[in-house]
Amino acid sequence: MRYVKLPKENIYDFLERLKDYGKLYAPVKISEKFYDFREVDDVKKIEFHYNRTIMPPKKFFFLPREKMFEFSISKAEYKETIENVEPFVVFGLHACDIFALKIMDTIYLDEFPDKYYKVRREKGIIIGISCMPDEYCFCNLRETDFADDGFDLFLHELPDGYLVRVGTPIGHRIVDKSIKLFEEVTSQDICDFREFEKKREESFKYHEDWGSLRYLLELEMEHPMWDEQSELCLACGNCNTTCPTCRCYEVQDIPNLDGDTGVRIRRWDSCQLRSHGLVAGNHNFRPTKRSRFMNRYLCKNSYNEKLGLSYCVGCGRCTYFCPAGISFVKNLRTIMGLEDKSCPPEISEEIPKRGFAYGGAKQ
Amino acid sequence: MEKVRIGFYALTSCYGCQLQFAMMDEIVQLLDKANIECWFMVDRDSDEEREVDIAFIEGSVSTQEEIELIKKIREKAKIVIAVGSCAIHGGVQSWGKDKELEELWKTVYGDGRVKFEPKMAEPVENYIKVDYKLYGCPPEKKDFLYALGTFLIGSWPEDIDYPVCVECRLNGNPCILIEKGEPCLGPLTTAGCDARCPSFNIACIGCRGAVGYGVAWFDSLAREFKKKGLTKEEILERMRIFNAHNPKLEEMINKVFEEGE
Repeated sequence: MRYVKLPKENIYDFLERLKDYGKLYAPVKISEKFYDFREVDDVKKIEFHYNRTIMPPKKFFFLPREKMFEFSISKAEYKETIENVEPFVVFGLHACDIFALKIMDTIYLDEFPDKYYKVRREKGIIIGISCMPDEYCFCNLRETDFADDGFDLFLHELPDGYLVRVGTPIGHRIVDKSIKLFEEVTSQDICDFREFEKKREESFKYHEDWGSLRYLLELEMEHPMWDEQSELCLACGNCNTTCPTCRCYEVQDIPNLDGDTGVRIRRWDSCQLRSHGLVAGNHNFRPTKRSRFMNRYLCKNSYNEKLGLSYCVGCGRCTYFCPAGISFVKNLRTIMGLEDKSCPPEISEEIPKRGFAYGGAKQ
Repeated sequence: MEKVRIGFYALTSCYGCQLQFAMMDEIVQLLDKANIECWFMVDRDSDEEREVDIAFIEGSVSTQEEIELIKKIREKAKIVIAVGSCAIHGGVQSWGKDKELEELWKTVYGDGRVKFEPKMAEPVENYIKVDYKLYGCPPEKKDFLYALGTFLIGSWPEDIDYPVCVECRLNGNPCILIEKGEPCLGPLTTAGCDARCPSFNIACIGCRGAVGYGVAWFDSLAREFKKKGLTKEEILERMRIFNAHNPKLEEMINKVFEEGE
């Protein structure tokens, strides 16, 4: 991998030059406390030390709402409406969000590529930036705290600039075209980089082994935590709609008034909603709030075989943006017996009668 | 293709729902698809006695005469659609549901007399079977077009069973409830408005009514409001504006205030 240094005084020049590659999106403050990736005109407005954005970066590739195709019933035809996407740059992704995109790729690019996702993913330039964890972060426990790939450039903060890792040929081109902005990495920079990473590692709230999580979740389907916590849940879906790896969508056909033509649209879905598990005949796989609540915990902690990771990247959004103040991490730690207050002394005696797919038929 | 026969009937309301639809440009496209049998706002030659395929009813049932009218509509219509918060949830006029009719009457009309028999405002569904609902105060044009378009191809439109929060997040808004602690009713309220008020930084007042199918969690939201310092009365008052007839409302809020700290 190629490493260069971007001195602090050149950062805004560098950001300005990124606009040559397409529209520039970066984290900005959108309200008193929250951030989001927005199109940036004035690069001085970019927030380098944001904690997390309310919308995950998947929004650039898997749109929150999207027209899929136009149809005609009389002609029995449909025409896909795939936009002609111009190249664009997303600046300032944290490592967890880069891993999240890699997870999205395993769903939407491998095997059966999603045309709408693919066309955007191919045009998006990804520039990562280092971060200091806050109390909500647990990417260290998910092994998603340091991205080895999945970016074109990755900027690591140094006291006097950034150590830049170059991840792709596009990354090389960006650096080469603005080579005067960059310097060679010095041994002092390496020390500073090491120092930053050490401080970062120490800043995580938890340092523990979550290896038992996956099977304990399956074993502890009758744990009282599920009733207590799902009772607090508003079922608003914020945990899903802010999640960088939630990938479910809802599809709807919207006919025109001519009784013939129309469009099919899709939007992000949430497994906390009633209709997520609703199927023909008015049957519902997850008929209760409790069962829907559990589903997200099981889904997020299931294993992505291609990456060897869980589907949760530890960004902390689902806790940070929960209006009911439900802590995903605390609940997982309860299940693992790591939270003193309500941790079970041992695995419950009774072997659950219901398996993964049927968990939570209880009212 | 045979034309679809449409009727639009008004009970006690501001007539804002039908105004919303009567002013749609798209209504012109309907002319060769539909016959308007009864819609006084747009057609002088309207008659409540005619049979229709789709009957739209706006307004709350607030007089004895209106009960008779909707029973007649039900008999003469294949599909009955309740339109707007008054028809679906009883409307803001149900806010004072716990007060005496006499008291409400006096407040508004004093000693005035009318030729009909007034009663407490109620949702249409309390008297007849309703097949579909167009939520809102007023409802969205797009929901009307979607429902009609879907009926016209001989299919059945989907109901909206998820809260405003979903659309609020899809729009990339900050969350008012978390950030400002304002009593936003988004988590309870039927989506479809594209989170209009929260998009303007205004907490949702719940005008589209609570989500159906037993997935409006008054209790969980009341618990949050309570944490933010709202009293039981304040919470009830706010949630009741458009949900006075919801059978779960008081029960769920009482539960939260019985829990203690």
